[in-house]
Amino acid sequence: MKTGSSFFQLLGQGSKTFLLLVYALFALFPLVWMVIMSLKPDNQMFSTTFIFSPTLENYDAVFLRSDYSRFFFNNLCVSVLAVVVSLVVGVPAAYALARFQFKLKEDIAFTILSFRFAPEILVILPLFLIYQKIGLYDTYLGLIWVYQLITLPLLIWILRGFFEDISPDIEAAAQLDGYSWWQVFLRLLLPLVRPGLVAAGLLCFIFAWNSFTFPLLLSASNAQTSTVVALRFLASDTVHYGQVAAAATISALPEVILALLIQKHLVRGLSFGAVKG
Amino acid sequence: MASVQIQGLTKWYGKRRGVEDLSLEINDKEFITVFGPAGAGKTTILSLIAGIIAPTRGSVRIGGRIVDDLEPADRNVAMVFESYALYPQLNVFDNMAFPLRSPKSRMAEDKVKNRVLQYARLMKIDHLLDRPIQALSNGQRQRTALGRALVRQPDVFLLDEPLSHLDAKLRHSMRAELKEMRTQLGTTTIYVTHDYLEAMSLGDRVVVINQGKIQQVGTPKEVYFKPASVEEVAKQFGDPEINIVDAKLRIVKGGTQFQLQILGENTPLAVPPEVAEELSAYQLENVRIGFRPADVKIAKDGKKDVFHGLVYSFEPLGTTSVLTIDAVDGTKVRTIVDSHQFYGVDQRIAFKVEPESVIYFNPVNGKFLARSGVMLESRSHG
Repeated sequence: MKTGSSFFQLLGQGSKTFLLLVYALFALFPLVWMVIMSLKPDNQMFSTTFIFSPTLENYDAVFLRSDYSRFFFNNLCVSVLAVVVSLVVGVPAAYALARFQFKLKEDIAFTILSFRFAPEILVILPLFLIYQKIGLYDTYLGLIWVYQLITLPLLIWILRGFFEDISPDIEAAAQLDGYSWWQVFLRLLLPLVRPGLVAAGLLCFIFAWNSFTFPLLLSASNAQTSTVVALRFLASDTVHYGQVAAAATISALPEVILALLIQKHLVRGLSFGAVKG
Repeated sequence: MASVQIQGLTKWYGKRRGVEDLSLEINDKEFITVFGPAGAGKTTILSLIAGIIAPTRGSVRIGGRIVDDLEPADRNVAMVFESYALYPQLNVFDNMAFPLRSPKSRMAEDKVKNRVLQYARLMKIDHLLDRPIQALSNGQRQRTALGRALVRQPDVFLLDEPLSHLDAKLRHSMRAELKEMRTQLGTTTIYVTHDYLEAMSLGDRVVVINQGKIQQVGTPKEVYFKPASVEEVAKQFGDPEINIVDAKLRIVKGGTQFQLQILGENTPLAVPPEVAEELSAYQLENVRIGFRPADVKIAKDGKKDVFHGLVYSFEPLGTTSVLTIDAVDGTKVRTIVDSHQFYGVDQRIAFKVEPESVIYFNPVNGKFLARSGVMLESRSHG
């Protein structure tokens, strides 16, 4: 009996490890393939798989012989600022939606969430016309603003849950202990929702960074972002797969680095209910 | 150290009543227990005094100063919440030091340390100071919450059901400890509870509250022996619950004496003369009377002045047992008996009711009319 159960335990463990391994390969392979491609010279692109003569030619072409870095910087600027704006607006909004009772509270919350229901392509035409009219077309501000459609609902809904988890008693207790509301908010509440803040912030950044439709149609030469510009390497005469891969690799770097840095918070933040008293 | 005066305090949550027209004077260093069932408005009273919520009407004075326009931080009131409301990201020491480090107090760090240690020792948690809150048991959390409230040496100390989440044994020992502590601290304290034992054992005075209104204010003895009403007060104190029965009032001996007829029997229950005097003013034919289970005594059948019934249930509880008797008219009479004797269900039984212990209520509205016996210490509060 005992050997039987330990055999099945072992089997369970083994199959779990196996499945995770399969999934890891499945998830990592495109990334690995992308990096490999970015290191291949054009003439070996289709004739080799893992054995080839590696070259930095593609990176050189993307970074030194084109203005890709400018668009990379554009993307960084727009995405970071979009997240900052979302934090400044979204944190108080999430708090209010979690704490206060007011008319149309649930409707407002739902409306904010509904920004994410429609595909971007559906609203792009009126937005395009409006942006042309009021001069926001092809500006940082315009992109940052429209990115709020992507980032704000996410941030508000994640953080609202975190604020709801904090007992109002804790706020009252801190106020009785001699702190003003602002001090309570900054010293007690923000640290308590930090895992959520970090996770939501990162997700917002990823969504903003990867955003394609909005910058494609609402920006031109000036504010265009790297996601859109990467397409240029698929251009007219030939398709430079190596250069596309190099551009994509560079583009993925900020997300990978950020995610690795805040991995610890990310897991806690996304598993919710992290605030327990 | 301060007195607290509450005047006409009213709080409505939208269309739901929190408390209504509450007036109360609490003396300096007095320990007041506020007793009532769930939803009676007990916590609302504390929140109003602390300034966490604003009253719809009425005002609060602490130490003679009107505090209605003051922020909670400026009232120098400490509160222990039912949920303890400890700061989850801080350890025990930092939780207790939190009020001392506030911008209002700005205490030097070495003083903070001394003060926290002093009260941690008092609360017997000085060995836990560097533990995170999550690693504490309920009892330890409760002590930390008390300690955090005490370190500030507040004017008024508000306790919201501090013992309700503890297991029975711990609750008992904490009650004794709190009682010991209150003599050491001597701070004006308002203690909210739904446990009548806590209310009576801890309070100098008990405020009985129900449906947002004060039902009675009095010493524990007054509340127990002269309850202001049947439902809101008498039935809430004592376990097993007080026996409440309807009684006919019969005039005997030419109108100077009364007898009660109860439980569907002809056995007269004499009304003590001093009560009769008070009752005669009301000109009632019926009254409701209450008598505590402990005042019902098992008697030998055939004796004078006994009532009869069958044993309905018998619950041994250690040294005493609760015996419920099905009286002649079907009323269930609860008594407390010695556990040495065994009673079988449906056994015939005779019992006496102590005439001196009967409490008289108005049959219509259930308000207190009179009672004899019991000498109450003469403290004329509220």
